[in-house]
Amino acid sequence: MGPWLNEAMTWGNALILFLWAVVFLFIVLGFVTYAIFFERKVIGWMQLRIGPNRVGPFGMLQTVADIFKLLIKEDTIPRKADRVLFILAPALAYIPAFSVLAVIPYTQKLYFADLNVGLLYYVALSGLSTLGIVLGGWASNNKYALLGGMRSAAQMISYEVPLVISVVGVILLSGSLNLRVIVEAQSGGWFWNWNFIPQIIGFAIFIIAAVSELNRTPFDLPEAESELVAGYHVEYSGFRFAFFMLSEYVYVYAIAALTTVLFLGGWNAPAPFLDFVPGMIWFLLKFTFIVFSLFWIRATFPRIRVDQLMGLGWKVLLPVSLLNVFLTAVYLELFIK
Amino acid sequence: MFNIAFTGEFVAFFVLSVIMICGAVLMISLEKVVHMVISMAAVFLGLAGMFVLLEAEFVAFVQVLIYAGAVSILMIFGIMMTKHQQEEREKAKPLHETLAAVGALSLFGILFYAIRTTTFPEPTPFQGSHDNTMAIGELLYTGYVIPFELLSVLLTVAFIGAIVLAKKGADE
Repeated sequence: MGPWLNEAMTWGNALILFLWAVVFLFIVLGFVTYAIFFERKVIGWMQLRIGPNRVGPFGMLQTVADIFKLLIKEDTIPRKADRVLFILAPALAYIPAFSVLAVIPYTQKLYFADLNVGLLYYVALSGLSTLGIVLGGWASNNKYALLGGMRSAAQMISYEVPLVISVVGVILLSGSLNLRVIVEAQSGGWFWNWNFIPQIIGFAIFIIAAVSELNRTPFDLPEAESELVAGYHVEYSGFRFAFFMLSEYVYVYAIAALTTVLFLGGWNAPAPFLDFVPGMIWFLLKFTFIVFSLFWIRATFPRIRVDQLMGLGWKVLLPVSLLNVFLTAVYLELFIK
Repeated sequence: MFNIAFTGEFVAFFVLSVIMICGAVLMISLEKVVHMVISMAAVFLGLAGMFVLLEAEFVAFVQVLIYAGAVSILMIFGIMMTKHQQEEREKAKPLHETLAAVGALSLFGILFYAIRTTTFPEPTPFQGSHDNTMAIGELLYTGYVIPFELLSVLLTVAFIGAIVLAKKGADE
């Protein structure tokens, strides 16, 4: 991928890049389809149920059928809704979700954009999705949707702050915002060179804040089924609803890939003698492990209350992440320079 | 006067300008406050695109993060939390509006003419360092360290002030 990015932009190159993007889109859509399937299966097993097993072999086509149902469903727009914003909101939630994927490097050679400020790009664009969610909740003209949208926005803003500050330690250690450079800074042969051990505080905060950013249990207040009907997307149906769901699962993909890149050494092998295994396999293993952990957390944790949520974000995670930045800076100043 | 080369950069500049100008015009002409905020967010995004064109990626994405993300959401929150009855439209004043339009158009004409006819000194090729984030950081902590520190003190004061104001309201 790298060589194409640095060549002059001709029509031929533009076509190649476009085809790559299309291939990538289908990979992501495939991921989303089967992530939903495995989420239901895994949670089912953990709760001693069977999970979907009717459509196709082992229920493999369940999500495909669900998506097909969503696409052919009637598309309803409430009469008193704000039409323009109601239509705009799913797109606003979904476009940033896909555009953040551009900066994630998979192996030394396979990356889609080699951006100097890759990490900042990710953080900045993922913040825009909140706008889509708030607007979706507001435009529906429904009190449950509005409550869900407000909760979601409050939560995403409160947890974005510790999320961003927790990665500052990683940036300090590798001296760059470029995600490829960050991975290369972690290559040292052994797994203890990866950022998750030197940055263990940052790693813990990042995981907690990431689960919260994804609006998943134990932080799934915006869509708390038992309190809010469904949250910001109550009034949405058909493919607009599918777009909200899609962007949510694309963020699962994005966060899992970002965690792999920032803390788990990306494509690096855990030990020097395992170098013969291609980097892609290591990346996928770590990535799958993170995605599985997200499902695991969802299956086993209860939901917390809204005041506990805000308290945890502002009173615990934020000070601890600031402390982490301070400790990292002191360490670098005393021992490295 | 119209010596323009149609490069990719020009096309991008043109598209971004259209986004920004449309956003700005809509911001003034739309009636619902939430719609106004959205069109303003479009202006912010267009501006970020302009920064990318100028090879200032750091400023561009900070622009997206702070303005398009945080400031817009803050405004939407403010609007949703406060009452906003649809205000009555003012009566149209034809003479006033015509004069304003003539004034604005002639100002645009003068500015456009002046910019297009001025011969600018040949720009020295941009010496962008490969990593302009690093360059900004170094400048902030060497040449501009005092203004930088003063700004952070100002922000802290504003922050504490906001907390004090909010606390006052909560006690009563």
